[in-house]
Amino acid sequence: MKLLHTKRAAFAAVLVATFGVSLGARALAFDDEEKKGDESEEAEDKSVPEEEKTAWFAVTHADIYTGTGEILRDATLLAKDGKIVEIGYDVDIPGRDYYTDVPEEKRDFRVDVLDAQGMRVYPGLVAISSSGLLGTGGDFRDSIDPFSSNMVLGLAAGITTTGQGRSAVKLKRYVPHEPPLPYDFDGIVVRDDAFASMSLSSGAAKRSLIEKFQRASQYLREYRQWEIDVKKDKELKEPDKKGVDGTVLEVLEGRVYPMFRAAERADLLNVARLAQEFGFRPVIDDCREGWTVADELGRAGAFAILSARDRRDKDESLVREGGSSIENAAILSAAGVQVAIVPESKGVALDGIVGRDIMHLPIEVDFAVRGGLSEALAVDSITRIPARMMGIGHRVGSLEVGKDCDLIVTDGDLLHYQTFVQYTVIDGELVYDKQQELYFAHIRPRPEVELAPAAKLDAGEDAPAEEPKDDAKDEDREEGEGGE
Amino acid sequence: MMILNTLLLVAAPALSPASTPPPQGVMALKVGRAETVSDGSVLHAVILIEDGKITMVGEDLPIERGIPVIDLGPDSVVIPGLVNAYSRQGMDSRGGSGSEPGNRASSELYPAYEDYSELLDAGITTLGLYPAGNGIPGRAVAVRTKGDTREEMILKDDAYLKVILQASGSSKKMIRDGFEKADKWIEKEQKEREKWEKDKEKADKKKKDDDKDKDAKDAGPGPYVAPDKDPEAEAFLALRAKELRALISIDTAAEYLHLVDAIGKEEFDWDLRIPIQRESNVFYVAEMVGKRGCRVVMDPVLSLHPNTMRQRNLPNEFAKAGAKLVLTPRSDSTSDNVDWLTDVGGLVTAGLPPKVALRAMTLEPAEVLGLGDRLGSISAGKDANLVFFDRDPFEPGVRPVAVMLEGQIVSGEVN
Repeated sequence: MKLLHTKRAAFAAVLVATFGVSLGARALAFDDEEKKGDESEEAEDKSVPEEEKTAWFAVTHADIYTGTGEILRDATLLAKDGKIVEIGYDVDIPGRDYYTDVPEEKRDFRVDVLDAQGMRVYPGLVAISSSGLLGTGGDFRDSIDPFSSNMVLGLAAGITTTGQGRSAVKLKRYVPHEPPLPYDFDGIVVRDDAFASMSLSSGAAKRSLIEKFQRASQYLREYRQWEIDVKKDKELKEPDKKGVDGTVLEVLEGRVYPMFRAAERADLLNVARLAQEFGFRPVIDDCREGWTVADELGRAGAFAILSARDRRDKDESLVREGGSSIENAAILSAAGVQVAIVPESKGVALDGIVGRDIMHLPIEVDFAVRGGLSEALAVDSITRIPARMMGIGHRVGSLEVGKDCDLIVTDGDLLHYQTFVQYTVIDGELVYDKQQELYFAHIRPRPEVELAPAAKLDAGEDAPAEEPKDDAKDEDREEGEGGE
Repeated sequence: MMILNTLLLVAAPALSPASTPPPQGVMALKVGRAETVSDGSVLHAVILIEDGKITMVGEDLPIERGIPVIDLGPDSVVIPGLVNAYSRQGMDSRGGSGSEPGNRASSELYPAYEDYSELLDAGITTLGLYPAGNGIPGRAVAVRTKGDTREEMILKDDAYLKVILQASGSSKKMIRDGFEKADKWIEKEQKEREKWEKDKEKADKKKKDDDKDKDAKDAGPGPYVAPDKDPEAEAFLALRAKELRALISIDTAAEYLHLVDAIGKEEFDWDLRIPIQRESNVFYVAEMVGKRGCRVVMDPVLSLHPNTMRQRNLPNEFAKAGAKLVLTPRSDSTSDNVDWLTDVGGLVTAGLPPKVALRAMTLEPAEVLGLGDRLGSISAGKDANLVFFDRDPFEPGVRPVAVMLEGQIVSGEVN
């Protein structure tokens, strides 16, 4: 017994040592890397095929807005094979801080480092719904166009994940490699069936939906009871699943959120009541009059999708409040409703008035900020919250260790009208660079060198030539020193 | 020395009957310049032909007396007969959109179609005719552009399997399903073979036991017969065995990625057909296709970079990237077939090397049809399909002076 105790203590000590020295995730990454290193030593001189290489990606010197409330100034984010492994300071990057002596062709990894000096990093934006960014629809694995200009425009707008149809899909562009890698068709769909569409619009639809919920919740009750009883009596039959709607069952089990379309007060209250009666959290699309019943929606745990600059007068025949309000998002959020904001038009519009389509999500949320929404919640409304609604919040929507490395690098505050997305990264791969695409490269072009070159300290009399050659530099300095 | 030997051999039959040699007999051609495609240009070329085949090509070869000589003059140029591997000239059926790899374009061949002679006059001696339709419409046939019956015209049936791939689930599934059906047939065949072997063993045993009594009534299951293949399984098995090659049509760069995805790990011979639209974006995959080194069948047109007015020479870009370029006429109309050389001349003016251009109209399309060992270049052993000009063939508006099909002058006149 005593022996056991000491063993345990020793084990704990080792754990503490590991974590103390090199902060969790990095330790893991290191271990992994070392293992790989050993393997490649065994397999001497065999170059690793491109697709099997570990892909490292790092953003350095950036102000990282993680989307969870923290801001890390002049920090580094490191991702391995598309997942974030470390965010913070003093991050070691393979190929730069270690393994520097391994020649390029013998490496079992490749590394991309993006220097974002003076820029900000945000999580990639999540558009709760859009159209035309990816392809024609159906299964996106079979229809996506990774070269389409609409996808580039979506990436230029900072969107990395979008709901289209019932799926949550990433805007993964085809990135040329040397040698070329096959396109990862399986990597684009984050989730099929991200929503369960439901309707309460007509009397008949309402009746039938309520019946479905009643049947499904009855079945769930029976099933849970059976789970308890079957332990005593193994012969007991599973409850009959006949007549149980599969989608409704999934909703009740909390595996998917149901999406209702409800703009007016009465419809919104119907949804809220149904949700509270059966215990699920509804997503309410086009939640225009939500501000009039915000408390009820908040109590029902609702999510709301709305456009911050929708303008509609209320029904004049009613005395109560109604119609649209610029304060909608702010009031709903204050009541505990999680709000996602969408533009008026969900496609990419290259004609008409600028700024009302999917390419202007950050500007869209500015209208909600004008109506009283906090800036932090405004960013949430186009990142974390839509990700949660689609049930993919564990993968995208914020920058945290373990999540997908989907991020944007901007040249200023995301919500400022002047700000441009400079780079977009999906799964640790650079998919958009403003200067490389013909769309916005000419507007306030990014300077080639971010910082002025270090001033040369020269107290000597000899005026240096305009641009001394690299080789000549050292000699110059030596001579100067000699002169002193 | 070898040359001499061959010459003597060639000369031998011609010597004996003295006068009139048989029409399919031996013949020598003297041309100012021969574009052999396989071995570059030969100046002052002599081409020896026997029984419709080229037996020798060389510069200023000595010609044995008695062999009839056609001298085309010092300015004359000869190129191999043109091969349009992607045409529906003379065919009129409408296809479906499903997977019908068993269909054969040869079944709708109509030798009396009047425009074949016009194509022949324009120097096109071989056509690859494909079946109509979307999806997997069937197999193309390679034909001569002359012949009174289908048998006389057909060079090779099952020249290639035409596949049209689009970025859609159903289209990708068609390819995957085809190989799945092939797998299923293999499985079925194995089972049947095992069953047959068991039956045979049983029968043999019984036979031994019964031997003493009388001659065996039960002669066993007979020779093994493999189960019938349905046309889909058959075609995809043939693809895998590399007995059949595929010509896969795509429109956009994305579709190439989908194609690579649909094919997965299957290995078979395939070439690409990429029709060039006004603002095609296929240049995104030029490097990838070039690395693969497959053939790319394109139209001789310049296109525009998407959303701009910047001109691109996509055939040249693909050729530069390493793809084997195959050109078709600008459209499948008779007039565009006749103007084929002029249209390709336009690409040459825009930077496509003339040698690559000529190869893309002769040897490479012959390879697409699986006839590369028989057609497409002026070299020993190949069919004597030749087109004669009195100036450079890529000059605008040039028409052939004469056309030879398998050793016979079938168009124009030579003396």
